[in-house]
Amino acid sequence: MSSVEFTHKMSAHCESGTLAALLNHKGLPITEQMIFGISGAFFFAYLDTKQFTFPQFVVRSQPGDMRVHIEKRLGMKLVKEKFTDPVNALANTDDLLNRGIPHAVQVDMFYMEYIPKYMKAHFNGHFITVVGKEGNNYLVSDGYYPSIVTLSSEAMEMGRFAKGSLAPKGFTFYPESVKSASDIDWKKQIYAGIKQVVFNMTKIPIPFLGVKGIRKFANEVTKWHLKTRDIDHLSHEITTIHIILEERGTGGAGFRFMYASFLQEASKLINNPALSDMSKKMMENGDNWREISLFVARISKNRELDAGKMNELKNMILARADWEETFFKELGKIVK
Amino acid sequence: MEVTNELKLELKKLVVDTLKIPDVLPEDITDDENLFEGRLGIDSVDALELVMALQRNYKVHIDDQNLGRFIIKSINTIADFIAKEQSKL
Repeated sequence: MSSVEFTHKMSAHCESGTLAALLNHKGLPITEQMIFGISGAFFFAYLDTKQFTFPQFVVRSQPGDMRVHIEKRLGMKLVKEKFTDPVNALANTDDLLNRGIPHAVQVDMFYMEYIPKYMKAHFNGHFITVVGKEGNNYLVSDGYYPSIVTLSSEAMEMGRFAKGSLAPKGFTFYPESVKSASDIDWKKQIYAGIKQVVFNMTKIPIPFLGVKGIRKFANEVTKWHLKTRDIDHLSHEITTIHIILEERGTGGAGFRFMYASFLQEASKLINNPALSDMSKKMMENGDNWREISLFVARISKNRELDAGKMNELKNMILARADWEETFFKELGKIVK
Repeated sequence: MEVTNELKLELKKLVVDTLKIPDVLPEDITDDENLFEGRLGIDSVDALELVMALQRNYKVHIDDQNLGRFIIKSINTIADFIAKEQSKL
């Protein structure tokens, strides 16, 4: 048996949650909201290419970006490794545990035995922290669950080597070295993260990214009926809007609440009251995105997908685009 | 604020009214039955409707949908959350 003394916490988003948990373990007190904000992960992209069977949108930066930026901005070193052989991957995990090193692993969420049935879905981009082993079972800290849980070796292997898009390939990481909080220029790094988001949301000259992407999404969604087989198919795709905004570990409203929390924390940490005002605004914006989530869920469930409802949806989304463009430009001026 | 039977009944009425559950009286819902996995079988859309109703009625904010699922698991867990949040006000 090997076990590391590890403080478990629930988290809104698995990647920022595992990073926060591991950095806390290494002695750097930081929340996942701060990690999310400092890494500049807030984003929007409307994706309609042959790569996807149906148009979709994303509400954060691409996989891996968060770790790259947080490593640089917090001056830390992450040890990262991928494996082709599950035997080697699990041997590496066992070795790390024997050395008292908790570490994150990427898994397909579906194989996590402790997740209730109604929450199960295939998703290859989930991160959990391995903190111990008892017999054949690993002890795992999963931010989506209220306590440390057990996961059989078989399920660990299946989860870490699931196939498909964003396949985990045995990926694992842990912080090797971490700066102390007093050695980090928090204002500089917070501002860097905010500037990155301001640029991504308002300045990238690509029509499907940032607020331009939100507008494109708004306009395109009224044409989705031309891409679907029948009303049930359209209903499924409209429901996906709700799932992406609320269900895929965004902390609610497509990361808007997390970003609001980041701004609030940042405000206190670097004594900038203007960021607190912006936090309150972002929180309200999150509530408005949540109204969109609820609207799409209702019209989809009731099959009320006529042109009138779709135009209503379009206008709700366009209102968010306009609002966020104004917001991020104002935020950009604060951190200039 | 304490968890009372009055609060729990109020929450049961809110669940039935918000989710428009037919053939179920508020008093029929037990305090500890799992709202997701039990006979009520609420789904993620119902969960969001309920979260927003709780926010409106009790002036609480449930940002995190992961945590939200555990908060609204049963009448007991909802009541505990409301009582705890109301005590902070």
